[in-house]
Amino acid sequence: MINDKNSQKIVDHIHNFARKHSLWVLAYGTGCGAIEIPPTMTSRYDAERLGVRGAATPRQADLLLITGYLTTKTLKRVIRVYEQMQDPKYVIGFGSCTINGGMYYDSYNTINALDRYLPVDVYINGCMPRPEAVIAGFTKLQELITAGKADGAAKYKEKLEWYRKNQKNVIPNWTMPEYNW
Amino acid sequence: MKENKVKLAKYLKEHFPAIIEKDYNYNRIDFSINRELVPSVLRLLKEESGYIHLSHISCVDWLEEEEFELVFIIWSPVDKIKILIHTRIDRNNPVMDNIDKIWRQANTYEREIKEMYGIEFTGLEAADEFLLEDWNGMPPMRRDFDTAAYASNKYYNRPGREDAMDVREEIARHSGEEIPDFAKKYSR
Ligand code: SF4
Repeated sequence: MINDKNSQKIVDHIHNFARKHSLWVLAYGTGCGAIEIPPTMTSRYDAERLGVRGAATPRQADLLLITGYLTTKTLKRVIRVYEQMQDPKYVIGFGSCTINGGMYYDSYNTINALDRYLPVDVYINGCMPRPEAVIAGFTKLQELITAGKADGAAKYKEKLEWYRKNQKNVIPNWTMPEYNW
Repeated sequence: MKENKVKLAKYLKEHFPAIIEKDYNYNRIDFSINRELVPSVLRLLKEESGYIHLSHISCVDWLEEEEFELVFIIWSPVDKIKILIHTRIDRNNPVMDNIDKIWRQANTYEREIKEMYGIEFTGLEAADEFLLEDWNGMPPMRRDFDTAAYASNKYYNRPGREDAMDVREEIARHSGEEIPDFAKKYSR
């Protein structure tokens, strides 16, 4: 396409501008945090003014919200979903459960740190975060996109082996293809 | 209610002399019986006395006594009495009779108990996995299963933040208060 470095920069800038104003969130809720999504999306907090809206399938979505604790069983599905999403794609970890396990830190079936298994662009802490916090998280992600720093997907491809190792550590019976996007 | 419960206890005693009754207030009455007789008791209550609703099957782990206790909770919409049937089984060889021929929904509870406590129900027809996936260890609801150790072994534990400090003593000093003794053991 364009080889010149400076023109590539301009093109990226335009791309990122467009991307940041149309973040489509995959309608997939795990844990308790998903209950904060309806108020965020509806008229009181109205996330759609930021271009954030729901998408029905992984292929249409740009943003995967992990809204709380993830059981190993769900993690399997979430990985599958994440890998089906098309570039550009971002992940927001939502609630303290995704950061360090939260109050399920000693549970036998929930993972403790999401970023070992999926590349997380933005974490929102709180148990559970209120819609204001969620919107702050969205705007933070938009800032990162503008600055070209929301590169979780690229990191995932680069460090795929490391992520796979961690994933297989908690999912003993791996039935998914090795590479599927 | 009271006379119904008395009548019920008498009725069960006639059929099963070994049954032990324990009365609770309001609409609850408990019976304990050995494991072999549980299906007959349940069938009798369902088919003759109108206790047609199985509310729940629950399991208690008596680790020190090396026993599991199974509790069958049934209910009659006519008598409005809740019956709890207790039975103890050996913890080292946990086998129980399958009752899903009496209530089909018992199947679900039995699958859960099988998975979470490792109790075998003779002749239970169900898929291997129910709630847990790829689980091959001690059933996690047993009391000797150490969930904290398992979790710290299997999952990554993020170290705490460096700026997370214990500021309670500082605050107490500032406001000239004492930290009470019972609260001291919680400080880091
Ligand atoms: S962080 Fe709190 S609200 Fe969110 S999933 Fe965990 S326990 Fe639930």
